[in-house]
Amino acid sequence: MSDLLEREELLLQLESLAAEDGRLVFVGGEAGVGKTALVRAFAERVGGVRRGSCENLVAPTPLGPFLDLGLEPEEPRRVAAAALALAEPIVLEDVHWADAASLDVLRVLGRRIDGSGATVLATYRDDEVAGDHPLRVVLGELASAPGVRRLVVPPLSLDGVRALAEPAGRDAEALYRLTRGNAFFVTEILAAGGDELPETVRDAVLARAALLARPARRLLDAIAVLPLRAEVWLLEQIVPKELEHLDECLDSGTIRADRDAVAFRHELARLAVEDALSPHRRRELHASILAVLETRGDLSRLAHHAEEAGDGDAVLRYAPAAARAAAAARSHREAAAQYERTLRFADGLPAAERVALLRGAAQELHMTGRHEQAVDAYVVAIEHCRELGDTLQEGDLFARLPTMYISLGRNAEAEAASSRAIGLLETLPPGPELTSAYAMQASLRMLNRDNAEGVVWGERALAAAERLADEEGRSFALNMIGTSQLMAGEIDRGVESLLRSLELARAIDSEVRINSALGMLGSGLGEMYELERSERYLEQQIAYGEEREFYVGYALAWLACVKLYRGRWDEVAPLAQIAVAGANQISQITGSIALGRLRARRGDPGVWEVLDEALELSEPGGHLQRLGHVHAARAEAAWLSGDPERAVEEARGAYPLALEKRHLWFAGELAYWQWKAGALDEVPDWIAEPYRLQLAGDAHAAADAWRERLCPYEAARTLADAGDEAALEELDRLGALPAATELRRRLGLRGPRESTRVNPAGLTARELEVLALVADGLQNREIAERLVLSARTVDHHVSAVLRKLAARNRAEAAARYRAISVAAGANMGGPADAGTPARP
Amino acid sequence: MDTYVILRRSGWRSGEELGEAAARSTAEGERMSDDVRWIRSYVLEEGNGVGTVCIYQASSPEAIRAHAAAADLPVDEIVRVADTVVVRPDPQPAAV
Repeated sequence: MSDLLEREELLLQLESLAAEDGRLVFVGGEAGVGKTALVRAFAERVGGVRRGSCENLVAPTPLGPFLDLGLEPEEPRRVAAAALALAEPIVLEDVHWADAASLDVLRVLGRRIDGSGATVLATYRDDEVAGDHPLRVVLGELASAPGVRRLVVPPLSLDGVRALAEPAGRDAEALYRLTRGNAFFVTEILAAGGDELPETVRDAVLARAALLARPARRLLDAIAVLPLRAEVWLLEQIVPKELEHLDECLDSGTIRADRDAVAFRHELARLAVEDALSPHRRRELHASILAVLETRGDLSRLAHHAEEAGDGDAVLRYAPAAARAAAAARSHREAAAQYERTLRFADGLPAAERVALLRGAAQELHMTGRHEQAVDAYVVAIEHCRELGDTLQEGDLFARLPTMYISLGRNAEAEAASSRAIGLLETLPPGPELTSAYAMQASLRMLNRDNAEGVVWGERALAAAERLADEEGRSFALNMIGTSQLMAGEIDRGVESLLRSLELARAIDSEVRINSALGMLGSGLGEMYELERSERYLEQQIAYGEEREFYVGYALAWLACVKLYRGRWDEVAPLAQIAVAGANQISQITGSIALGRLRARRGDPGVWEVLDEALELSEPGGHLQRLGHVHAARAEAAWLSGDPERAVEEARGAYPLALEKRHLWFAGELAYWQWKAGALDEVPDWIAEPYRLQLAGDAHAAADAWRERLCPYEAARTLADAGDEAALEELDRLGALPAATELRRRLGLRGPRESTRVNPAGLTARELEVLALVADGLQNREIAERLVLSARTVDHHVSAVLRKLAARNRAEAAARYRAISVAAGANMGGPADAGTPARP
Repeated sequence: MDTYVILRRSGWRSGEELGEAAARSTAEGERMSDDVRWIRSYVLEEGNGVGTVCIYQASSPEAIRAHAAAADLPVDEIVRVADTVVVRPDPQPAAV
């Protein structure tokens, strides 16, 4: 095809990627730009591919495209493994319509593709993937995965359009202006013929369809109501007479053959033809399809056609089952859509059945982040329960509301719902619902850092769970107790409770409970500056979660904070960026805090954009664990940018709350910033030790305390505050420009830029380092690892060394090095000393 | 991608050393072309050596630092460029 003239470079890129050792290539472009044509050309070049497509449906079949490939429906990890094991390259089309389970498979593929030898192309409409589109989140997560690439298919240039227009005798410029180079639009217009230029793609498609004889058009209409493809056997049943005209349709080019089915050349065309149908005809067609498929269609398709046919009974037959199947396949968006579809037709159902549907819907809406609608569903369900006199369910539902309200930042309503739940359930004999209600209350107290009460409610939940031998309930209760104990500063007791929670969770193999216990240990210990243990548990949680496709963004965000506090500044950004790029609020907040503090401490740009974002996300919830952390970071940033008044203002934004909840570390840091600005009247005596010591006047003891906590920056900062020059070495080593500059200014010192010593043979200090390792017999790769440089840079240094020494090989260079060492004696230096500029 | 100014004061003792650094910078930059793009540099006379003011486009300040670490270049300070105002074209490049 001539329009592939402008695709040659892209095709070569695709071929080259397919020859590499495992690539997942996202091929993006606007609708109709020619992604499918490109991918088909690629298929021809590599001698065949396996193809799967995503349906443009509100609730597509879970794992649809992977079922197309001939794979079995299983959990995402297994599907991904099976896909990677296929011999041919894989093409997945229109993944912007992918269901949630398929997106999970894509995530796993992205992480495992490098080194697998497999090639996967995934096309998508990049102009439809904005904001909080689920594919955008996946693309963000995979952005730095080795083996994942992105290609964009651009529209045709004017020349390209001309190459198509001229043979047809059409005005290339007018055509280009109208279509803006969109290949599909261009070919539709040219195929429709005539002199007039249609205004839209829709008009062009309908103009072409209008060329068909009536029976052929009726056939086309039937094909148009079937998303993705129309199986021939199905068409035989619904439009038997018109099927004779299939060749006419195929010849016209509006549809093409696709295995044992036919399909529109493009979804845009299908939609245009479907749209043009009368509602009556559309319903008729869907009803016939439904009647035929009832014996062999899958639930998602049946539910879709049932709704389109307006057949309420059929919807009620199929959609709930489709919802449950989607939920089981962890395709929660599709499950929610199926429940919502059911509820649209559920008015005639008895109240008890509606309650069950509403509960299912609320759960799926919650899992997909649509908390407002989840609340609405629960509220309606609660009303029904009250009418039915079902106190047990009413109480249980009230106990599920708080989680939704918290996500929406509606804390007062969360508290009210929790109290209602307990009030109702305590009137009945105790059961698992009551345990959950107590646990929910414990959770609210823990979230609010009402630590003492958190323990009290947690123990109530524990006792209730023990009476019922409810192991899962026990694990949850111990988790709440342990977290509250940690936050109250009872570290050892808190860890013990959480470890017991973990042990129980492992005994019953509850993934959710294990993940939660590890998570609370990790983030809780981090918040309490028990950094070494925190890091260990966070890494365990991340490994555990990644294996099981759990969301690990929050753990990554906390790990970024811990790395920051431990002075491992180069490791912070990669972790924080993943958390910030996701759609999970608390992960975004925590990741932004890590990034903001990192930049502030280095004096790098981009501080306030991330800290403003963190504040905006934290304010609705009003929780200390977010506000305290955010305001501490903002106070620090303000101070380091030379604005003490602002630092005080920021600190005061959360100081009263921190005092109220007696949070040792938040109160400590927020007090510190006010104290530095001379704006603190009273110092509480219970704040965290390093702050307490510093504010009491003992800087050196405070610095020691920070060092014991493994916080090199805070230790140096404490000494710097006391005007101690010894802090400079550490501040320079870390790259803490604002703090180092400020200290130098106070002490009247000049910058670190002293003249460097002259090294023998005109080698730089770094080249000398490399040479020493060469003389030790290390290979370039090993040298790169040792000096934390890239292999390429080490290659450069080694070449430079050989050249400067006029040595023919490493052995000669090593000999020269030994000669130089002997000659220079004790003056031989090694790595960067005080004379050379600080390295990042 | 934003534009940034990077200060590398007194980074090298001679033009030759700087030339070698430039080669490393290019090589590493090619590997990270999605995250870091070197636009131009001004070489600074520093008395006992040379330094540079570099203009880069980058996805974040951390990407700049990662590139510098990989290519073994110093970074003194990173400042974001809000706007570029070209009053006259650059003079001829100085011989290094």
